[in-house]
Amino acid sequence: MGEPKPVDLDALMAEVRERIRIKREKGIYGPDVEALMRVPLPGGRRIFADDLQDPLASLAEALDEEVEYDPRSRKPVVGPVITYARKVVISLVRWWMGAILERQERINRLLAAAYDYEGQMAPRFGSRLERLEREWKEWREQEVAANLHSVYFQARFGGDEPVIRRQSEAFVDLYKGRKRVLDLGSGRGIFLQLLKDRGIGGYGVDLDPRMVAEAREKGLEAHEVDALTHLRQVEAGSVDGLYARHLAEHILPGQLVEILRACRRALAPGAPLVFITPNPATLTVGAHTFWMDPQHLRPIPPDLFKFYLEVEGYTDVEVRTFEPSEKRLREDGDSNRRENIRLLNDTLFGDRDYAVIGHAPK
Amino acid sequence: MRVHQFHPTLAPGDAMSNHVFALRKKIRHWGYESFAYAVEAKPGVADVRSYRRLFRDVKPEDLLIVHFSMGSEVVDQLIKIPSRRVLVYHNITPPEFFSGINPHAAAFARLGLRQLSRIAPAFELGIGVSEFNRRALVEAGYEETTRVPILLDWEHFALPPNDAVLARWKGLRTVLLFVGRISPNKRQDDLVRMLAYYRRCIDPEAQLILVGAYRDQPQFHARVVALIERLGLGGAVWFAGSVDDASLLACYRAATAFVSLSEHEGFGVPLLEAMRFRLPVVAYDAAAVGETVGDAGVLLRERDLAETAEAAAMVGEPSALREALVAAGERRVKDFDPEKVGERTRQVLGL
Repeated sequence: MGEPKPVDLDALMAEVRERIRIKREKGIYGPDVEALMRVPLPGGRRIFADDLQDPLASLAEALDEEVEYDPRSRKPVVGPVITYARKVVISLVRWWMGAILERQERINRLLAAAYDYEGQMAPRFGSRLERLEREWKEWREQEVAANLHSVYFQARFGGDEPVIRRQSEAFVDLYKGRKRVLDLGSGRGIFLQLLKDRGIGGYGVDLDPRMVAEAREKGLEAHEVDALTHLRQVEAGSVDGLYARHLAEHILPGQLVEILRACRRALAPGAPLVFITPNPATLTVGAHTFWMDPQHLRPIPPDLFKFYLEVEGYTDVEVRTFEPSEKRLREDGDSNRRENIRLLNDTLFGDRDYAVIGHAPK
Repeated sequence: MRVHQFHPTLAPGDAMSNHVFALRKKIRHWGYESFAYAVEAKPGVADVRSYRRLFRDVKPEDLLIVHFSMGSEVVDQLIKIPSRRVLVYHNITPPEFFSGINPHAAAFARLGLRQLSRIAPAFELGIGVSEFNRRALVEAGYEETTRVPILLDWEHFALPPNDAVLARWKGLRTVLLFVGRISPNKRQDDLVRMLAYYRRCIDPEAQLILVGAYRDQPQFHARVVALIERLGLGGAVWFAGSVDDASLLACYRAATAFVSLSEHEGFGVPLLEAMRFRLPVVAYDAAAVGETVGDAGVLLRERDLAETAEAAAMVGEPSALREALVAAGERRVKDFDPEKVGERTRQVLGL
C-alpha cells in the first residue's frame, strides 16, 4: 500500500477564498454580515485579546479606568456583619494598598510616556523593531559574505607574507625614534615585528582573535578590539604614530571619517599617520582586483583620501603609490605611440596600492 | 519504588485528570504501585487520595509526578519531601485572557506562572505535553526538559453513544462542534460570531454545539449568552455543559465539523478526539493547536471568521475531500497511540 496522499489544504483554502469572493460579488456577504461579526461581547469590557488588536486605544482607556469595589454584603442576617468586617479590613490595608497603587500608577505613567502612546509609536512596535534589527544584521552579513569560509579564502587570496613585509618596510623609517606606534588591523604582526626589529615601540589591535593570538606568540603586543573603540579609549595624545594597512576599504566612508577624528585625538602633536589601501586609479585594481575580497566595501580614490585627511586637520598630507603591476604593454614604436602606450600602461597597469601620509597638527 | 501523581483538582471529563488516570493505569500495568492525589477531588472521580497523605506516603526512593496547570500552595510544600520529582506541564492560560473579565482568574494565573519558575530547581525533569509547553518550561528556567504527549485513554469511549443526543441532531445539514471549557481563551464568542456568518451566507439552519463546563467562567458565559441574543442566534447555539462520555461521543458522531478558534491550548485533546471519531477539524493555528493537528486538519493561519465558516462548510459536505481529511485524522491519532506514548513515558521517567 502506497503512502496516502496528504490533503491539499492550499487548494482547499483557495476554494474557500473563491467562495467568499463570489458571495461578496453577489452581495450575500455584505457590510451587514461584517457588522454582525464585529459585534462586541455585551456586558462589559472587550476581551483582552481584542484589546491587543488596538493596544494604543485600549491603553488610553485602561489608564483612566477606576477599580470599583462594593463592600456591602446582601446575605440575610450575617450581611451587616460581613459588610462591617470588610470595611474594617479595607480601612486597615488602605495605606498599604495606596502605596502599591501609587507605585503602579507611576509605572503606568512612565511606560505610557516611554512608549509615547499618543505620539508616533505604532502597534507591535517591538516586534517590528526586532524584525528590522534581524534583517539589518542579515543584510550586513550578506553584504560582506560573512558566511564565506574565511580560512579557504585566506588560503587562496590572502596576502603573501614576504610581499606584506616588503611593502611595510618602506614605511618603517617614518616612525624612527617613536615609542608608542599603533597598528590598526595588525593581523599576524608583520609590521609590529619590523618596528620591534628597529627598536621602535609599537602595538596593534585586530578584530580576529586568531590573528591576535598569532601576534602574541611572537612576543608582540596585540589586543582584540575594534579600531574605533580602542581609539576612543586611549588617552589623548598617547599614541605617537599610526599605521593602518588595508583597513579603510573595509569600512564605510562615515566610519573612516570617525576613525580619522579619533586618531587625531589619540595622536601626539606631529605624529605621523599612514593609511594604505588599494589604488582604484589603476583601472585593473578599481575594476577588478579590488573586488576579489567580498569584504571590501568601496574603493577610495587617492585624491579623496587625501582630502579627508586635510579636512580633518592633518598637515603635510601626501599620497605615495607603490607596488607596480606585473603586466605591462610593451612601449615601442615612435615617440607618439610610446607616449600613448605609457599613458595606457599607467592607467591600466599602474601602482596597485597607495599610501596616504599625514601628520597630526602640532 | 512507587509513583505518586499530584494535581490540585481532579475532575471527571477533564483532559488533564484523564491523563493522570491513564498514566496511573499504565504505571500499575508496568508493575509499580501508583496513586493519584488531589486537594479537591470533584464528585464522579474515584480512587483519589487526599494530598495530605503524600507527606506520609512518599519515600525518598519514590517518584513524585506533579501535574501543573495552576498555582497551588501545596506544591511549595510537596517539593520539600525528599524524593525524585518530575513536573508535567499542561500549561497555564495566560492571565491576559482573563484581564477585565475575571480578575480573580487573572491573578491566579499570574501566581501560577511565577510559581512555575520558582519551583523549577526542585525538579529533575520538566515534561511538556506539547513542544509549545516544553518551550514554556525552558523559558521558565527548567534545565532538563522533554516533550511527551498526553496519554490518551480511548477505552472510556468504548460504549454506545447517547441516543437522545444523536436523535436531537439527526438530519441536520450543519452541526458545528467545539469541545472545551467555556473560557475567554477558547474564544467561544468568536465561534458565535462565525455562526452568524454561517447562517447568513451558507446554511440558515446551522447549529453550534459548545461542550464544556461553564461554571469556572460565569461572567464570560453570561456575556456569550448575551452576544447570542444580540446576534439573534437564540436556539442555534447549545451549551451542553460538562457531559458524560456517551453524550460526548454522540456529539462527535452527530456533528458535521469540529471548529476551534481557541487562542490558547496547551495540547488540545478534543482535536484528536474529533479525529478519532471521524470528524473533520477546522482550527485556528495558535499555541499548541498546530502541532497537535499536524496536516490532518484545516489549519487557519489567519483569524478570519468568514474563511473559518466556509472551510467548515467545505469539509462538512460529503465529498472525497472530507473522506481524505477523515482518513488523515485517523492516521494522525495513531501518532499519539497510547502504547507509543506509554513507552516514551516509561523511558523518560526511567521506569
